[in-house]
Amino acid sequence: MWRTVARRMVIMIPQIFLLSILVFLMAKAMPGDALTGLLDPSIDPASLEAQRERLGLNNPWQVQYWDWITKAFQGDFGQSFRFKMPVSDLIGQRMMNTIWLSIVTLILTYLIAIPLGITSGRYNDTWADRFITGYTYLGFAAPLFIFALLMLWIFGFHFGWFPTGGSVEPGMKPGTLEYVLSKFYHLLLPALSMALITTVTTVQLLRSEIIDTKQKDFIVTARAKGASESRVYNRHILRNSLLPIAAFFGYEITGLIGGTVFIESIYSYPGMGELFLSSISLRDFSVVTALVLLYGAASIIGALISDITLSAVDPRIRIK
Amino acid sequence: MMRSFRFTRSAFVPMLLALVLLLAACSSGNGNEKNEPPPADSSNKPSPTEEVKEPTPEPDDGLYSIEDFSNVKKNEGTPIENGSLTFGLVSDTPFEGTLNFNFYSGDPDSQVLGWFDEGLLTWDESYVFTNDGAATYEVSEDGRTFTFTIRDNVNWHDGKPVTAADWEFAHLVIGDPKYDGPRYDSTFTNIVGMNEYHEGKADKISGIEVINDKQLKITYIESTPSLLTGGIWTYPLAKHIFGSIPVEKISASPEVREKPIGFGPFKVESITPGESVVYTKNADYWRGEPALEKVTLKVINPTTIVQQLESGGVDLVDSFPVDQYPDNAGMSNVEFLGNIDRAYTYIGFKLGTWDAEGSKVVPNPKAKMADINLRKAMWHAVDNDQVGKQFYHGLRWNATTLIPPSHPEYHDSSNPGLAFDVDLANKILDDAGYKKNGEFRTNPDGSELVINFISMTGGDIAEPLAQYYVQSWKAIGLNVNLEMVEFNTFYDRVGANGEDDPKVDVYQGAWGVGIDVDPSGLYGREAIYNFPRYASDKQDELLKKGISKEAFDVKVRQGIYKEWQQLMVEEIPVFPTLYRAVLVPVNKRVLNYAIGDGTNVYLHQLAVSQDKPFVAEK
Repeated sequence: MWRTVARRMVIMIPQIFLLSILVFLMAKAMPGDALTGLLDPSIDPASLEAQRERLGLNNPWQVQYWDWITKAFQGDFGQSFRFKMPVSDLIGQRMMNTIWLSIVTLILTYLIAIPLGITSGRYNDTWADRFITGYTYLGFAAPLFIFALLMLWIFGFHFGWFPTGGSVEPGMKPGTLEYVLSKFYHLLLPALSMALITTVTTVQLLRSEIIDTKQKDFIVTARAKGASESRVYNRHILRNSLLPIAAFFGYEITGLIGGTVFIESIYSYPGMGELFLSSISLRDFSVVTALVLLYGAASIIGALISDITLSAVDPRIRIK
Repeated sequence: MMRSFRFTRSAFVPMLLALVLLLAACSSGNGNEKNEPPPADSSNKPSPTEEVKEPTPEPDDGLYSIEDFSNVKKNEGTPIENGSLTFGLVSDTPFEGTLNFNFYSGDPDSQVLGWFDEGLLTWDESYVFTNDGAATYEVSEDGRTFTFTIRDNVNWHDGKPVTAADWEFAHLVIGDPKYDGPRYDSTFTNIVGMNEYHEGKADKISGIEVINDKQLKITYIESTPSLLTGGIWTYPLAKHIFGSIPVEKISASPEVREKPIGFGPFKVESITPGESVVYTKNADYWRGEPALEKVTLKVINPTTIVQQLESGGVDLVDSFPVDQYPDNAGMSNVEFLGNIDRAYTYIGFKLGTWDAEGSKVVPNPKAKMADINLRKAMWHAVDNDQVGKQFYHGLRWNATTLIPPSHPEYHDSSNPGLAFDVDLANKILDDAGYKKNGEFRTNPDGSELVINFISMTGGDIAEPLAQYYVQSWKAIGLNVNLEMVEFNTFYDRVGANGEDDPKVDVYQGAWGVGIDVDPSGLYGREAIYNFPRYASDKQDELLKKGISKEAFDVKVRQGIYKEWQQLMVEEIPVFPTLYRAVLVPVNKRVLNYAIGDGTNVYLHQLAVSQDKPFVAEK
């Protein structure tokens, strides 16, 4: 098992390396650079040219790439042109916001998915099931960014139950209980909006797994041995049905990355997704490449986690 | 030659041009035939006590006019003690956090800065420096040497006085070759000795002399009227704080990002990076103790601005998307202030190329658009009056010349530009030999004429608007191909880096103009941003005269730019399409607030009439 993990880690290196070249080339292929937007006639074009030279933007791509990757290996992702601060500090500042948002979203996703999936699967073709599947279809159909806006309008503005932007009340002192509570309060609505949409896949998956499992022979056997209905569901069906859900966990992380990009910009929540979008439009390359690399690594690690959890919960599966 | 087109110095919020350009599509248009700009009195020179008109909330024809807006808030009620208010910074990205006037580059940062720091000089409604600010100035006989005196009671937030050395220090830092901000421009290169210092040949700038603690003398290379309209750097840098930090490290230092310092009416109490700032009053402010106890600034997304305003979540915002105005004109808890934007939208014709070696434009007499008749016909073919009404509900309106009415002293309102006249356009083309071959016209020599037109994406209106122009030109028999491109691609192809895309013949762009009226940075022979690549001797002469010594006389300067505006109408390297309005909603409890320049309303007077903001009645 540990050998597998180690081997997967080793494979990760060329994967990330390839990803980094791809990302770098694509970033360079975008028209314009960080200085293009600076259309100011009072600035001498010669001084812009000097800045480009200083930033190394005039070098051939392989030179630029080499400069970048060697530094990146030492943990130095360069300086953000827009923010005028080291990219690693900048991302560090934003990353905690995104991580908290993702964790709360994940917890909410499972909190919603498991009871709904079980109810729906256990009592399939009842009204409760129809109601739940109806909700999942709605969830599949509703685009996240529209739904999030709707939630923001209803619960943020109309009822005023939740704050409508930012990650914390202005003026709070970091470290106090008040600060933590305010942070949690601020990310509850964005996380809930995202969870309500992303959870529907899990609900559906769980439902069909349960329906599937409950017709298996070993369940018939269990019933024949006189096991109570709750024992049949909790010990036999649920355990087996949760397998694919557990396997999905890693990929859920990847999905969250896409989701947070929208959610963060709708809720003006300063996290990595928001930083990613704005850095692309302003051609802040050093930030874009660092973020894509980070996202790429997160997806690869997510897939790895999935595989590992799968082998942990299902003894039949052994990745070699 | 000196380039001194100033983009950005507005009353207390310099703005980043790129952001202005991104604004491409919003809303506006008044549209009477004459395009009379609003008289200066109603829109640019209000005094705080002046009686102002109530904007008509719902005009019968669904059209609005900037003339119905005031730029000064009506005062209803009396100020309360220890009030506080919330300012919404409308942006879909967090502010960068480079919180120093000497280093910031984005407009969001300048909004944050405007509350706690300011320039040493202020200017009047014609954008000319006055002696009402934190410093006063005197000009020498030859107009090149300025002596500044900082008022005695001007202190940094930490209590240390703002000194002449701080002012000099700002120049030393910006001129330093290791300086990483965007400020080193013609304002600095025009100072005697700056070049030597920038190249490392001198330790000091010979043209800057600290006379004593409070007095500074700066000598400029060229004396031009542009010096008085933003051509002087007025933001000191606290030497006792930044003096010990290496220049390249200042912009990332905590003294800029976490505990920024200024000498403005409010002090920064706490910052949540990218999302909010809490300010408290600076009781020691040189103009007097501010009326408000606390100001909270928070970033709000443009998609939720209306709800934030209605619920009282914010009292005022820095800008309001004009296309949302018609649906919200009746919002009961706010007053909409309006002003004419220092910007115009235009259609440009590519008439040449950029010579990177010689740093100048090279007009090409054989360019596809080189025939003046073709350009003239294309201007006559478009009805910008209707564009303003249909697309922007009157909040953008037909533009006539290249100096917008935001500069009432220089905008020539008697110049009508070229009017919409399809018959005339057809006649011009017929006379010039562009014969119809089926649906479309050919070149006079019989070859096929296909015109490539690019326009920027952004907003719902961008594409339909560009399509409208294509159709208008089709109506006079011109075959125009439209391509919609994103901002960076657009300026890349138009030639922001000097490499013009030869496939572009016509483009639609926008400029935000600075407080100085001199247009040579956009149309001069040596300006890379002269995207049409137009140049003529006549224009060279006028642009030179406009910043000459004689032009210190406003009357003379007006005459010169009147002539230039007319020249542009005759030669049409570009033609202006729309002028625009800026609207700012302000909660009714807010007192003493104004937008625009030279209003004599200052932030320390800002107050509120009750504890809680008014909430909109549904």
